[in-house]
Amino acid sequence: MKEIKIKTRDLSLYYGAKMALNSISLDIPEKEVTAFIGPSGCGKSTFLRTLNRMNDLIPSVRITGEVLVDSLNIYDKQIDVVNLRKKVGMVFQKSNPFAKSIFENVAYGPRINGINKKTTLEEIVEKSLKKAFIWEEVKDRLHDSAMGLSGGQQQRMCIARTLAVEPEIILMDEPASALDPISTAKIEELIFELKKNYTIVIVTHNMQQAARVSDLTAFFYLGELIEFGKTKKIFTTPDKKHTEEYITGRFG
Amino acid sequence: MERHFEQELQKLNKRILKMGNLVYDQIHNSLEALLTCNIELAQQVVGKDNKVDKLDVKIDKLCQRIFALTQPVATDLRLIMSALKMNNDLERLGDLAVNISTKVEGVSDYQEILTDLHVDELANMADLIVKDVITILNTRNTTFVRDIFSSANAIEEKVQAVSSRILDEMMHKTEVIVVATNLMIILTQIDRIAGYSTNIAESIVFIVEGKMIKHKNPFKHIDGAEINPGHENPVEDSGNSGI
Repeated sequence: MKEIKIKTRDLSLYYGAKMALNSISLDIPEKEVTAFIGPSGCGKSTFLRTLNRMNDLIPSVRITGEVLVDSLNIYDKQIDVVNLRKKVGMVFQKSNPFAKSIFENVAYGPRINGINKKTTLEEIVEKSLKKAFIWEEVKDRLHDSAMGLSGGQQQRMCIARTLAVEPEIILMDEPASALDPISTAKIEELIFELKKNYTIVIVTHNMQQAARVSDLTAFFYLGELIEFGKTKKIFTTPDKKHTEEYITGRFG
Repeated sequence: MERHFEQELQKLNKRILKMGNLVYDQIHNSLEALLTCNIELAQQVVGKDNKVDKLDVKIDKLCQRIFALTQPVATDLRLIMSALKMNNDLERLGDLAVNISTKVEGVSDYQEILTDLHVDELANMADLIVKDVITILNTRNTTFVRDIFSSANAIEEKVQAVSSRILDEMMHKTEVIVVATNLMIILTQIDRIAGYSTNIAESIVFIVEGKMIKHKNPFKHIDGAEINPGHENPVEDSGNSGI
């Protein structure tokens, strides 16, 4: 039995008066891939963003309940949000490279964390790019602009950039939705490798992707957690009718 | 709006049911041919087997197409997996009907032996178990799956009892060895009819309830209490360990 890395308790989130998440309690185990599925607007991305306090940036958001990462409530006043986001990294739907070289993109995080020694940065960049399975493709052009990479390469470089600050948890919001099948397969293989060392939480609209890459799946609908369990169970014999209807495409 | 995928599943359901009815007719006719020594009917069964084979291939191809094009999950996945297995079991049942039919001529002059051994009772039991399992396939009412297992047990016991009697006869009367061997082959086919019928019943439970009950009879007595497929069951697999 894996240790629980993230625990939410009665987590509700409001955009102004509108409730977007309704009392979500969920245990996410470490070094496994947990997928969030559900129709658009069901709250899965909102829930993902509560796990590293990305919703703090939206003024009308109000949150009740708890999110515990390694048993610490990340919404406690003493929590340093910068450190939290170092520990809980994030990869977005659209790759967002900085208009800098590949090297500088990956070295950016370590640099702002005070690492300036060239050889140390070189080691971190190489290690991170290797972990993101893109080293072989970019090792000879590290100082070229990251904007020249393909979409799939940019996304893997962004994952390398996330890995460079040594997070323990990686949140992925539709990381392959804008990529072609080959690049998608590479991202999925990467997720499979990364889970040996990281806890991964992924939001996806692609049912087959959730089935392929995740160990656990949570189905959200209208801000509620309808069903959460092992992916192999959810995709073969789900307990809830709603889940069955959604994953078989008979929804609504 | 009905989705194209739904139409494919309906087509699959219809074809499996058509296969079930076709195979039941084959089994029924082969057993009737046996009991009435109707060689012509037996030959018709043999001749019709190619229809079963053709439908078998058609169903396999449809399942292959649905798997390749739709990536089914949950109840759809269970249906298509089970359709493949049931199709195989039904096709084998068709083969058993042919095997019985090819032995009709060899026993047709020994009607009194068939009567003496109560082969008609066994034949009726075999006919009924296939008829019942096809009904369950049509209605998907798993309440009656228990009856299939009970009937299969009864057939197995009766086949063993009759086989023992035949072996006894063979030891004492060398002149009956040929007909007795044919009868033993027929009994084996009847025993297999029961076996394939329980396989199909297991597949229907998997489709409807998502429980894998194969390889162990879930309806056997445990500490005096019978177990229902819908209740807590020590031998079932809820489908989460195999994929």
